[in-house]
Amino acid sequence: MTTLAAGPATRRRRASSGFWRFLTYLALVLIMAPAAWMLIGVLARAWSHWQWSVLWTKATPTGGGLRDQILGTLILMFGVLIIAGSIGVFAGIHLAEMARPNKPAGRLSGPLRTASDVLSGFPSIVLGYVGYTALVVGLGWGFSLAAALIILSIMVIPYIAKTTENSLRQVPTGYREGAEALGMSVGYSLRKVVLRSALPGIVTGLLLALAIAAGETAPLIYTAGFSNTLPHSLTHAQFPYLTYVVFSYWNDPSVQKHYLSYDAALILIVIVLLLLVSSRIIVSRTQRHAESARTTRTGKRLWPGRGQAVEPAKDEPLLGITGAPPR
Amino acid sequence: MATVGGVAGSVPATPRAEPVGKPPPWRRFGKFARRNEEVAWRSVAWVAVLLPLAALVFAVSVLAVKAWPAIRVNGWYFLYGRDWTYGNGYGAVVHTDGVAHQMGARFGAWAIIWGTLASSLIAIAIAVPLSIGAAFALTERMPTWISRPLGFTIEILAGIPSVVIGLWGILTFGPWLAHHVYPVIADHMPDVPVLRYFSNPVGTGEGLMSAGIVLALMIVPIIASTTRDLFAQVPPLPKEGASALGMTDWEVANKVTLPWVRSGIVGATVLGLGRALGETIAIAMIGGASLQIPHTIYLPFTTVAATILSQLDGALTDGTGFAVATLAELALVLAVISVGVNLIARQIVKRTGRVGAPVGGA
Amino acid sequence: MKTSMRAAWLTRGAIIATVATLALGSTLLSSAASASVKLPKSGVETPSGGTVTETGSTLMYPIFNLWASGFNEKFSSTTIQTAGTGSGTGISEAENDTINIGASDAYLSPSVVQSNPSLRNIPLAISAQLVNYNLPGVTAHLKLSGKLLSEIYQGQVTNWNAQQIASANPGVTLPNLPIVTLHRSDSSGDTFLFTSYLSKADASGWGTKIGYNTTVPWPAAPGALGETGNSGMVSGCKATPGCLAYIGISYLTQTLQAGLGYGQLQNGKGQYVLPTSANIAAEAAGFIKKTPANGTISLIYGNINNGYPIVNYEYAIVQAHQSSSSTAKNIRSVLEWAINKNYGSDTSYLSQVDFQALPTKVFAQSVKQILNIK
Repeated sequence: MTTLAAGPATRRRRASSGFWRFLTYLALVLIMAPAAWMLIGVLARAWSHWQWSVLWTKATPTGGGLRDQILGTLILMFGVLIIAGSIGVFAGIHLAEMARPNKPAGRLSGPLRTASDVLSGFPSIVLGYVGYTALVVGLGWGFSLAAALIILSIMVIPYIAKTTENSLRQVPTGYREGAEALGMSVGYSLRKVVLRSALPGIVTGLLLALAIAAGETAPLIYTAGFSNTLPHSLTHAQFPYLTYVVFSYWNDPSVQKHYLSYDAALILIVIVLLLLVSSRIIVSRTQRHAESARTTRTGKRLWPGRGQAVEPAKDEPLLGITGAPPR
Repeated sequence: MATVGGVAGSVPATPRAEPVGKPPPWRRFGKFARRNEEVAWRSVAWVAVLLPLAALVFAVSVLAVKAWPAIRVNGWYFLYGRDWTYGNGYGAVVHTDGVAHQMGARFGAWAIIWGTLASSLIAIAIAVPLSIGAAFALTERMPTWISRPLGFTIEILAGIPSVVIGLWGILTFGPWLAHHVYPVIADHMPDVPVLRYFSNPVGTGEGLMSAGIVLALMIVPIIASTTRDLFAQVPPLPKEGASALGMTDWEVANKVTLPWVRSGIVGATVLGLGRALGETIAIAMIGGASLQIPHTIYLPFTTVAATILSQLDGALTDGTGFAVATLAELALVLAVISVGVNLIARQIVKRTGRVGAPVGGA
Repeated sequence: MKTSMRAAWLTRGAIIATVATLALGSTLLSSAASASVKLPKSGVETPSGGTVTETGSTLMYPIFNLWASGFNEKFSSTTIQTAGTGSGTGISEAENDTINIGASDAYLSPSVVQSNPSLRNIPLAISAQLVNYNLPGVTAHLKLSGKLLSEIYQGQVTNWNAQQIASANPGVTLPNLPIVTLHRSDSSGDTFLFTSYLSKADASGWGTKIGYNTTVPWPAAPGALGETGNSGMVSGCKATPGCLAYIGISYLTQTLQAGLGYGQLQNGKGQYVLPTSANIAAEAAGFIKKTPANGTISLIYGNINNGYPIVNYEYAIVQAHQSSSSTAKNIRSVLEWAINKNYGSDTSYLSQVDFQALPTKVFAQSVKQILNIK
């Protein structure tokens, strides 16, 4: 009987595998370290001169606070949520529900989806420039909230449409067929059954879109301008927001404004963190419930996120009522 | 003879049968509402899904219309020339091909386009290996209690506004690189043609290399989280089979996992590339704003996106409007590059499709 | 017959009287309309209230911030929203009427004037520009001529201990340090001023090859850096030993704090002059007679004894035809307050940025332009 000691070739192979594993951990460290450094650096700079009054004091020419800028960013997010949210969700509904391959709508859905994806990769500064030419100068609105909302919404609709479509596709066909069998109209079944089960995914997409809207600078510079005061009208008045503060105040003659720049960076990070953490919580909470858990043939329940492969591959049939793959 | 069904006309109506003639008003309304609700949903959804396409077409048309005078006058020089001058702003206005512009105006954007391509290339070259490596580290044999928070942190990184990353880059990271990293590399570079690009002068940290690194940091989350999701979808059976046959982890990764997800990684890389091509603010802050191709990799440069951002106001001082038209042409070039890269990559992903057949019960 | 003749005379008289009254009345009315904007005794009209938006020159940014606080103290109904984005932005935003007041160190170019006949450049104050350098250990004010600066920025002179610099500065120990030239990457009035100086002092070199504008194609000098805004120039120069930069005088305090020195520049008479207030005033004084009613003139490189060569009027770029009379009133009020020697142009404000008030003749011309904003 030969021994099972590793021969030279095997030792070499094992060594190179170990080296590769070390490289992968190194890659992880190389990603995490600058990220941590950046977050800690921004926090430290902001915290060293932090005053809570920054949150509710108005900005002045040489310093002050960030009250209107924070409100401005929140208003922008809310406006984008309403405009882009509704349009994006409906677009996703179309792509997932109404574009059946056998119908004429289905044949258009490919190009439409491509257009949506291309728009999501479109450079934001170019959209900002188009907004400036067409809305700010062309329509004569001047730097305004209206122009900013339109351009931001255009930027963000593809993301919402994609996440909505994906989460709608994950709803088992059985639900739709059952609803139809019970005589529900398309609209009713959409509202009461399908959208309701896809809601967590849709909400995640909306939160992601809000995070993108909150962090944009370049398109806003050319559509919203900048201001220290929250205006009272949708047009002809420049609009305040936080990202411009980070972009330009760090180099201002007034040292007070340097601190405001770091403070604005901190506030932005906090806003984004809140949005992303909430979306994660929503996803994990709802995935615990029946929809995404699977039952294996032996009756064992598999929960997602516990290292057990639950998400079926694309063509794998769900053990649903019909046994047909979800479309 | 006797009729089938008995006495004609004497079949009693059951209570549930359809009434003869028009249905009562409430029934009619119900049917109307149901049918129209569907129409309403469908039409709203149609309008919504056509909007991205309409927005794209609108954007490109606005750009094309605005850029047309500049395209005619600048010609092909725009794509290969390196002079970027607005001409004599305080001199006479001349006309070429019927288009008015300042005397001496000449726009060659090659240095700017080069900047976009070079910085994106550096970013991809750094980000893709790092992301794939990190994705492997997170999915292979790492306890969930570490891998989930780390994975979550990477996803959070994707949401950090680029202006914040740019701020950190220009205040901390750039100077640190210029004082501690670049001199070490530059001083040890042999004086060989290609490597000369990495030697001194080292600059102040605002330049091509710093911008490339910061860009990489911004696109790593996209590529890494997508790759990690792809790895999680690789069916365990082929991997376990390979392991059982005595292949080491590295060989399993190389021969089984990677081929399986190859097209997905290409797709993720293209997503990252798209973001890198269009990134404006971070490059505007850390790129150094020089309208020329830098002599060494550490020196200032500019990209198309950053140029549009910083030069728009300068262009507006050209009363003839020619400089603005040229910027529109620049924006059109960026849009074409970005859309082109996106479409080509989608083709690649579609063509290669799924590599590797499902083994066993998938 | 008599009655009819009398009737004819009466009618003629009536017609003449009516015509005369109408003529007189209309002239009175029209003069009343055109003279409807009159300065009150204080010299400053009361604004209608609201926000006046200003953007543009970073050279004017510090003083506009001071003026914004001062103006709001006097007229609490009106606030001034300021920003420092570069003179080019000031001009273009004023052109597009997206901003009320554009601040610019550069007057309007002929092509802009042609396409925007209602755009005005109104002098507000007199300012100057420094040429700064970061040379630790050198405390003297280096003598720099326009030609030398032109050679440096073209990359022909690359080290601080070069013969050209040393021969102009005997007795100063210059370090062996490469020159890093800083220029503005945004559309800048300071670039306009600096390149005007270079174009006039080196007419055959810089003047022919590159010229002057708010943005120019900077030649490839080794290590040349682009910065945004005057603040960027200060911080960039501070971080780069061996740097050479052109910075507006309103940042003098910051440059001194950053340890930057400033040079003596050679003027049209060949003298090397320091940017003291006397020398700046001398240069400006030499151009008072030549300043036209619309304020468009360059004060740079004059042939004036002891005149500092880089001096300029700071302009407010405004549309003479405003969309609403209340906006026009606000703008007029702000500008009148700014140039008035009792308010915005009082030494307490201007001395903080080392500006000088307008001479009387130019002041009157500016007032006239301001009153035409309707």
